[in-house]
Amino acid sequence: MFKGLTAQRLLAVFALGWLLLNFPLLSVWDRSVIVWGIPLLPAALFVGWAVLIVLLAWITERSQD
Amino acid sequence: MLSAPLVVGASFAYLLLLFGVAHFGDRRARQGRSVIGNAWVYAFSMGVYCTAWTYFGSIGRAASSGVWFLPIYLGPTLAMVLAWMVVRKMIRISRSYRITSIADFIASRYGKSRLLAALVTLIAVVGILPYVALQLKAIASGYAVLTTAPGASPAAVGAWWLDSTLYIALALAGFTIAFGTRHLDTTERHEGMVAAIAVESVIKLLAFLAVGAFVTWGLFDGPADIFARGRAVPDIDRLLRLEQGAPFAYAQWFALTLLAMLSVVFLPRQFQMMVVENVDERHLKRAAWVFPLYMLAINAFVLPIALGGLLHFGIGAADPETFVLSLPLAVGQHALALVAFIGGLSAATGMVIVEAIAISTMVCNDLVMPWLLRTQRFGAAADSDLGGTLLAIRRAVIVALLLLGYLYFRLAGEAYALVSIGLISFAAVAQFAPALLGGMYWKGGTRAGALAGMAAGFALWAYTLMLPSIAKSGWWPDAFLKRGPFGIELLKPEQFLGLAGLDGLTHSLFWSLLANGALYFAVSMWRGPSARDASQALLFVDVFERSSATAAGSGPVFWRGRAKVADLLGLAGRFLGRDTAQRVFADYARRAGVARVEQIPPDAQLVHFVETQLAGAIGGASARVMVASVVEEEPLALDDVMRILDEASQLRAYSQALEEKSHSLEKATAELRMANEQLKSLDRLKDDFMSSVTHELRTPLTSIRALAELMQADADMDAAHRRQFLAIVVGETERLTRLVSQVLDMAKIESGHAEWRDAEVDLRALLDQAVQTTSEMFHERGATLTLQMPQQLRTLRADPDRLTQVLLNLLGNAAKFVPREGGRVDVRLLADEAGATVEVQDNGPGVPPEQQQVVFEKFRQGGDALNRPQGTGLGLPISRQIVEHFGGRMWLRSEPGQGACFGFVLPWKGKCVAEAGRQNGEETNDDLQDPDRR
Repeated sequence: MFKGLTAQRLLAVFALGWLLLNFPLLSVWDRSVIVWGIPLLPAALFVGWAVLIVLLAWITERSQD
Repeated sequence: MLSAPLVVGASFAYLLLLFGVAHFGDRRARQGRSVIGNAWVYAFSMGVYCTAWTYFGSIGRAASSGVWFLPIYLGPTLAMVLAWMVVRKMIRISRSYRITSIADFIASRYGKSRLLAALVTLIAVVGILPYVALQLKAIASGYAVLTTAPGASPAAVGAWWLDSTLYIALALAGFTIAFGTRHLDTTERHEGMVAAIAVESVIKLLAFLAVGAFVTWGLFDGPADIFARGRAVPDIDRLLRLEQGAPFAYAQWFALTLLAMLSVVFLPRQFQMMVVENVDERHLKRAAWVFPLYMLAINAFVLPIALGGLLHFGIGAADPETFVLSLPLAVGQHALALVAFIGGLSAATGMVIVEAIAISTMVCNDLVMPWLLRTQRFGAAADSDLGGTLLAIRRAVIVALLLLGYLYFRLAGEAYALVSIGLISFAAVAQFAPALLGGMYWKGGTRAGALAGMAAGFALWAYTLMLPSIAKSGWWPDAFLKRGPFGIELLKPEQFLGLAGLDGLTHSLFWSLLANGALYFAVSMWRGPSARDASQALLFVDVFERSSATAAGSGPVFWRGRAKVADLLGLAGRFLGRDTAQRVFADYARRAGVARVEQIPPDAQLVHFVETQLAGAIGGASARVMVASVVEEEPLALDDVMRILDEASQLRAYSQALEEKSHSLEKATAELRMANEQLKSLDRLKDDFMSSVTHELRTPLTSIRALAELMQADADMDAAHRRQFLAIVVGETERLTRLVSQVLDMAKIESGHAEWRDAEVDLRALLDQAVQTTSEMFHERGATLTLQMPQQLRTLRADPDRLTQVLLNLLGNAAKFVPREGGRVDVRLLADEAGATVEVQDNGPGVPPEQQQVVFEKFRQGGDALNRPQGTGLGLPISRQIVEHFGGRMWLRSEPGQGACFGFVLPWKGKCVAEAGRQNGEETNDDLQDPDRR
């Protein structure tokens, strides 16, 4: 169930997701900074979210089992 | 504002469109050309997660607290990361055991307990009511915004029969009935509904994006402009940071993420879409990333719309939850506002339809049916077809659910924001997590543990979250909120046992999940599983190991007793319909290898099969009871379960052993075939050899005979002539003798009967001697011979006579092939770690590449037939045999015009290797024993 490369990669992405989108890493982005016209906090949340989706797509579309 | 008939007309037109899609999907399904059989439709049907909450509520949330609308979508994204492992297992279990709802799933895991199924259903119904109310409220307030003149306050809610929300609820109930309960399906799959929901997901996304793009680039000058203007207003700038006047509530962020993560799988409608309606588990792979991408897309414009609305209307001047409608309206974009309303309606109706169908299945199968089956009229003894009754029950449940939702809306709807209402439902379904997830991965969970955990969790949820929500709406004196029931401060619902500092949701989630999980594990471990618990646990936890075996008919079936085929067929006919039952049994008979239904052996496999079929129609728990009522069962003890499991695994082991055996037989056959081929080729070689030998013998014999006949015929032949003839006869006879002795030699070596007189051999002395023996020959041909040897050389164990034979053969060959004038032969002896190497290099014409392979074969002489020197064609093959006997190797290196270099290497310890090889049998048999060596 949790064996195999695909499963291990997914577990790693899951851990990454919890870290990236939760306290305390969240507070790292909490600054009064503008990136391409968008405040850093929402920009970082959406970018982190998108990164997760890209990783997820890469892993699941590659897996053969 | 828009006219009410226009809005109502557009809404009905939209619902009719959805209905048309569903009808199309159903028709295609009946024709066997499913429209939902691809991963994209599956992914979009999961979009039913995004309801009016997303469409209206998220903007309200964003307008009051910034990024706090996000955890509700980040959680499901994280859940989808694990979907390939967790949801796939749920799909496999549900497919294997015909599970059609989350209540059925949990109850089936814990020994098909009817009590547990009823409890899960109860939690789902009560928990989901606020969520249904949320959809009603969203549609009602959206409708009010569209149809009320700007500036006028919405008409106060009058008597209940004048309330438009009631009619919205009834209309939705009507549509749900039309969608989901037109006919009965044993697998509870609704292809048409899935197609309609997928379309609905696309429509709400497009409508929302349209409004978002309009606000961002129509009303403002892109997102940068909105954020720049927002940051100029302190109250809006505050929303873009984590700490909004108070410390960041990271516990709540964590709780919301976790809650949403659980809900995306455990909400009845999500379970229906992800697990029950799944066509192919592989679709999950694509849906796992497309669905999060869908959520990302539908949330991209939430902040711009929220900020845009606040900037446009001013803070507090308009309800942020309806910005998506009021912003287009305020600037006269009526068509866009209507599109936005249709999108919101789409989001709300999608949720209501799927949720109500899922709930109606649960209530019918797990609450009403067990009770109904106990009554005289419908019980085991009755002979009535229940299909119609089932449908009627489901329809009634749908209407009741919508009316109850409306009731909750009237009771508590006004006081709460949309998001807060939805979160109450999320917290309720989170109570399924310990029993469901624990049951999928832990074999020790028991029915008692699941019951205790879920009941406690549900009670605490109701006490700490549901009751306060009703009390705060003013329908209940809220004194007990402030001072605790009966004045007991410790029991205050929102600060249970004095736990303060958390918001209401996190507080309730903490207590309910804590009690739920703790009791589940503690009670499970306290009593240990019963036989029924244990058998179901095995089937669930090891589903990936067993499902393939079950298909082959060798999986374990935990049942013992006596049954009659006719009884089971009759039972199936009552719930599935007589024709369907007959067809299903005929299929089973075909798979069991018998001609007629009556001949099916009434064994445990059949009982299990019928029970699984019934489970699809009336739920696992009811199916268990109904099957038990027509067969004679013997109770199973835990030992029996283990025994049956043992038998099944033994059976599997046997079949594996059988497979292995047949595999090794195949391998042996292949080896034998190969050996046979080899024997045949050896036989052919022998024939070739025989014909070559006779040919070689006949040449000298012919000349001897011819000369002898000449001498016989001519008695007066002069002495000189006669001597010449006799010399030739003697020479030819010697050649014959040499040939015969070489053939004998070869045969002896090949058959392993040759005599080997091994001794310590000094290769230097041997080589010296051989060179001296042949020096006369070289001298005659005018060739020079050089010899290079090291000063010292260790001895090796071999037969000196045989080695001399090899050396003489190589030197003799060289002498034969060197040119008449200026011939030159170099003999080298080299030594290294592995062994001694002898090379004989001549400057003759060399051996052409195509002949290099054959010179070591018998009777294949080098050179062309015309100027070929005399020889038997056996010298080199014998030499090679000798060298190989001592574990060495012989080779030829030659380039045309550069002469030929024959050489061989003898290992210092080669004899041992050869000896070991000989102990295994004849040399020629070696290849037979190890065909891979070739």
